[in-house]
Amino acid sequence: MTAAEQQELVEFLERDQLVLDTSRPVDRMVLSGPVRAALWAFRVFVMVVSAMVIYAFVSQLVH
Amino acid sequence: MNPPSPPSLLDGAVSGDGTIALPRPPLTPEDEARSQDRFRVHNARRHGRRWTLLWLLVGPGILAMLGENDGPSMISYATTGATYGIGFFLPFILVTFAMAVVCQEMCMRVGAVTHRGYGQLVLERFGPVWGWFSAGDLIFTNVVTLIAEFVAIRIGLSFFHLGAGVAALLGVVLVVFTLSGGRYWRWERIVLGMAVFNGLFLVAAIMTRPHWGTVGHGLITASPFPGGSFNTLLLLVASTIGATVTPWMIFFQQSASADKGLTPGDLRHGRYDTIAGAVFAALFGCGALIAGAALFGHGGAGFGPADALAGAGFPGALKLVSGNAAATVFALGLIEAGAVAILTISASTGYAVGECIGVAHSFNNSTRKASVFYGANVGAALIAAVIILIPGAPLLSIALNANVLATVLLPVALVFLIILANDRELMGQWANSAVTNRIAVAIVVFISICGAAYGIDSFLQTVHIV
Repeated sequence: MTAAEQQELVEFLERDQLVLDTSRPVDRMVLSGPVRAALWAFRVFVMVVSAMVIYAFVSQLVH
Repeated sequence: MNPPSPPSLLDGAVSGDGTIALPRPPLTPEDEARSQDRFRVHNARRHGRRWTLLWLLVGPGILAMLGENDGPSMISYATTGATYGIGFFLPFILVTFAMAVVCQEMCMRVGAVTHRGYGQLVLERFGPVWGWFSAGDLIFTNVVTLIAEFVAIRIGLSFFHLGAGVAALLGVVLVVFTLSGGRYWRWERIVLGMAVFNGLFLVAAIMTRPHWGTVGHGLITASPFPGGSFNTLLLLVASTIGATVTPWMIFFQQSASADKGLTPGDLRHGRYDTIAGAVFAALFGCGALIAGAALFGHGGAGFGPADALAGAGFPGALKLVSGNAAATVFALGLIEAGAVAILTISASTGYAVGECIGVAHSFNNSTRKASVFYGANVGAALIAAVIILIPGAPLLSIALNANVLATVLLPVALVFLIILANDRELMGQWANSAVTNRIAVAIVVFISICGAAYGIDSFLQTVHIV
């Protein structure tokens, strides 16, 4: 592919759409203490409920 | 004074004679493939070809919605119809798809603005712990759901006296076949072509000759409200939610929007795509419920030959009530629903694994260039295919519980999606509005309560506390 052809193709993509750009990681978000705590609490809650669902399902299968 | 803008790949360098020498950014084959798709979009937009533009830009939304009208979802809708008849659950399906539109629009928007998938953004923005938690949830629910998809194909094929081996082979061959193109566009169009046949559930519903007055009454009044076992009701509510909004849809639509090359300029069409998908999916989902309701009054979920529904032999039971033609169409619908979902769910697994490991994760790559992405795609389907070959698997239970599990794990994925969609550093002017935020938070609360209610009630019943 010639340079001109490449350039023409690039024009149809946004500048941050190229693989080279999307491969660059975005900056890490700074989460406050309460937000981090809320996320972890929510995570634990979901894990506990998931464990209950799985336990009930397996128990139904066994019996 | 404005701060200096960071150097971009497309910034030109001014040479001595004043001419701008544009650098050649290192275009990968993935970029080339995507830019060819974008070229067609530019052309259609420039020449004012509205329908061509719409045709070029639809895809991820319709696929996410119709992909979620999958085997377990359709079995769940039909079981609801068979258990409770036409009433509360018919408008409830419409409500759940309205919720799906809100969630999926956010995915599409974040994907189009950032050009990054959900897994990649969670990993980079929140760190590897949250990134891998999200991917782990997804892979776990995807494998369970994929098992249920193979089960749906198996149920459909068993109506035509074909066994589990054919179902497993069909699913895996389909995944391998659709991956062979090396182009996102080709993959998307093949799966869209298959997804059209989700409409078979509507045809099956019409063939069962429902009383349309009852359908209209149920839609408008949401009554009669279901009675009977509270736990069964919770199971069906949770699995109906899990039949419309799931973690894989979030991963899939955001990643597919980025892979397709959508940009902020395409957001309007992305919304049309999402809404169209929801309308079709709601219509076909209601069709499955109405078809299932033909069994209501004939013993409901306990009706049929040789423990039909307990063995998930829905088409066989339907044959006795509505005839062979309706049952055949329903069976074909189940095969289609399972097949399309295997393709979309496998794709979401591939995207998640590729994004979290940080390797190539696009259908616009060759299999050699994106071996991890394609490997995860096929691998997930292969694991599920092997599991359904185990004799004596509790089919209906797996199908319903796959949806419930998705409902339980969904709120965490939604919370991260809402944070990302509000992230002004990433989203700029396209961040969530206050109204969208209120609706999205209400959805998270509602889904959390439904999932938790079923989980806690089931657990307490299992340990004989209630």
